[in-house]
Amino acid sequence: MEPMLEMFIFETNQNLEQLEQITIHSEKNETFSSDEINDIFRIMHTIKGSSAMMLVNEVATLAHSIEDIFFYMREKKPDNVECSALTDIILESADFIKEEISKLESGSEANASASTLIEMTKTFLKELKSSNGDESQEKIPKELKKKQQYYIGAEKMATVTDNLNVFHAVIQYQEDCEMENIRAYTVLNSLEDAVKEIHYLPEAILEDDDTVGEIRNSGFKMWFTTTKSYEEIDKILQNTIFLKKLELKQLASLEECGYWPVKKEIVKEVILEEVPIKPILAPKKVESPEAAHQTMISVNVTKLDVLMDLVGELVIAEAMVTQNPELAGLELNSFHKAARQLKKISNELQDGVMSIRMVPLSGTFQKMNRIVRDMSKKLDKQVELVLIGEDTEVDKNVIEHISDPLMHLLRNSIDHGIEVPDERIEAGKNPIGKVTLEAKNAGNEVIINIVDDGKGLNKEKLLQRARENNLIHKNEADLTDKEIYSFIFAPGFSTKEKVTEFSGRGVGMDVVMKNINAVGGNVIVNSEAGKGSIITLKIPLTLAIIAGMTVKVGKASYTIPIVSIRESFRPIEQNIIIDPDGCEMIMVRGECYPIIRLHKIYNIATDVTKFTEGIIIMVETGKNKVGIFADHLVGQQQIVVKPVPVYIKNISNITGITGCTLLGDGSISLILDAVGLASRI
Amino acid sequence: MKVDAADYGGSLMKEMKRVLIVDDAAFVRMAIRTILEKNGYEVVGEANDGNVAVSKYMEHKPDFMTLDITMPNMDGIETLKAIRKLDPSAVVIMVSALGQERYIKDAILNGAKYFLVKPFKEENVIETLRKIVGA
Repeated sequence: MEPMLEMFIFETNQNLEQLEQITIHSEKNETFSSDEINDIFRIMHTIKGSSAMMLVNEVATLAHSIEDIFFYMREKKPDNVECSALTDIILESADFIKEEISKLESGSEANASASTLIEMTKTFLKELKSSNGDESQEKIPKELKKKQQYYIGAEKMATVTDNLNVFHAVIQYQEDCEMENIRAYTVLNSLEDAVKEIHYLPEAILEDDDTVGEIRNSGFKMWFTTTKSYEEIDKILQNTIFLKKLELKQLASLEECGYWPVKKEIVKEVILEEVPIKPILAPKKVESPEAAHQTMISVNVTKLDVLMDLVGELVIAEAMVTQNPELAGLELNSFHKAARQLKKISNELQDGVMSIRMVPLSGTFQKMNRIVRDMSKKLDKQVELVLIGEDTEVDKNVIEHISDPLMHLLRNSIDHGIEVPDERIEAGKNPIGKVTLEAKNAGNEVIINIVDDGKGLNKEKLLQRARENNLIHKNEADLTDKEIYSFIFAPGFSTKEKVTEFSGRGVGMDVVMKNINAVGGNVIVNSEAGKGSIITLKIPLTLAIIAGMTVKVGKASYTIPIVSIRESFRPIEQNIIIDPDGCEMIMVRGECYPIIRLHKIYNIATDVTKFTEGIIIMVETGKNKVGIFADHLVGQQQIVVKPVPVYIKNISNITGITGCTLLGDGSISLILDAVGLASRI
Repeated sequence: MKVDAADYGGSLMKEMKRVLIVDDAAFVRMAIRTILEKNGYEVVGEANDGNVAVSKYMEHKPDFMTLDITMPNMDGIETLKAIRKLDPSAVVIMVSALGQERYIKDAILNGAKYFLVKPFKEENVIETLRKIVGA
């Protein structure tokens, strides 16, 4: 993408985000503070300017009309602004602009019409003005009114008896150059030192912006006396910017002047205000450190992706060197010392690169304010959103993957969880519902909790739906609460009879689960009837390089992400249980868990088929734990996650594999996904 | 050793006009920088706010500066006044958008040399600069 366009998109999006936050904040307070008015004015002004330059005219016009509202509010400080209506206008406009920007981003043309929005904005301003008894146009500030109509140049001091040349000049400006009156004023400035006395039409060029029309129609006319020659004056006037046509005529005498008011005694007014110079601005002292050095730079994400890939390759290469099979059995003291140093540095490099990619969740969290606002308005519910741990950092790629699921979960909480105020009062709760979004770090993972104090999940309804959908595969009485709640993640499962605009038709939760699983995360639901629900997302910090445990099954290697491993052990005979259906279970501290034999699932020839000869690795699946049976452990190492090649993905029967990685000896290891594996039981 | 400008073929030695760009929008700074650098001006610095602009102006003493009117903290007019106070010969070209006539007038009355109106076209910017500050 062209850098200018990229910058435009980036900056505009940033501005829009800020705009949204400010607006929602002021809506809550039911007033726009003067700082907020200034900020919104500035943001709209910037968007207007930039988008006009990018020729996105509808956006520019829309931004301009909003800017007008805030200009009025800034100047007149009306106290009867309908905050909620204005917020609606701003947010809708922000949505429109976002939409247009995303069109540009995807390389198509931003061509939607904003005319209804612009119309709305204008009507709003009109009503605001008239309700403040202020229908007339903006008035020019008073101090300008006093300014002189014409002035006498520096040559005034010269003797009057000099032979003066009299000139008449008419300046025509190019079409569409705008602000002709101010441009004309600068012409007077440029003549200042050359002329003795000057008169011009239209007169009130600075005071009255309507003079623009007159200048456009009949040009800016000047009559002046000077000692300078025709050529000199011509040279000055030819330098006029946006000059379309200059007529310069030398007149024989003052009588020929079409306009020469009776001379008054005029002293050249001092235009520059005399302000006493304050000594505060000793320049060297003013310089703040951040002014001298730029401390932040923005970097294109694709560059970081490349860097991350390279670090990944480096980690693999390092493993290939230090764990090279040809080194086996050799006495290499100094080699190992050097290898350790290399490992240390590459680990630090990896940490460094990852930390660059880390982005705080605050951006994603702040977006939720908007959703809560829109939904509570539409559903007539009162909801307060509490954000905790916004500065928790996650890899950029991970953020992109969790933003949609998070939005969906939040919508669900408000739509299905939080009750309408009447219902809440009846239940003895605060009429204002509370949804808490909380993020925290836990080792290599980030945990995000979505807590609501709504009515909670209805177990009976869930069970009923589960029966209808044939989802129950064991004795209903044996189902744990956790298992019942996790039914909501089954495809096509929805207990809500009515489909609402926000939560959709039950395609939601299974997609949420899928998306979170796709980044190696997990979703856990907990709920208490009448008190509310907690949905917990566990998400890995990063996708690219993770810590993994490599295990062997026959000749094949598999890698299990360390985050999902709880323990591993060699079982003893008495703890193995086989139920009447032939399912194998392991008893750990009084609890029973199913066992998955990797060699059976993936059909691998191995000598180790007895549990007591191999090893069982207990992994967390969200709902439950399962034991994975393998021949033996190889060891823990940093693995670079590579996607499974498409031709393997197309083979139907590969559930339980999220990716693959290269091991130090150059062989390939498949990365196991505990959740996927458990689904095969 | 003294070297005559003529030894370098004259034109090579011609000094480029040095400019400071002040605007709170990075996009606009980039736009102006692109146009100016393409047309043989040397951009000595950028500032995104009035205070930085003043200190950078005093540091670099550029031949001219472009100055945005609407900025947070210290706006363009205040910045203009501060700079003109420190250096009455400062050549300042205001950058503004339509609808800001009032501020432009204010700026001109306070010594701004000229103004550019967003959205600007390259040829207009260059015409303005050539006439005000030279090539």
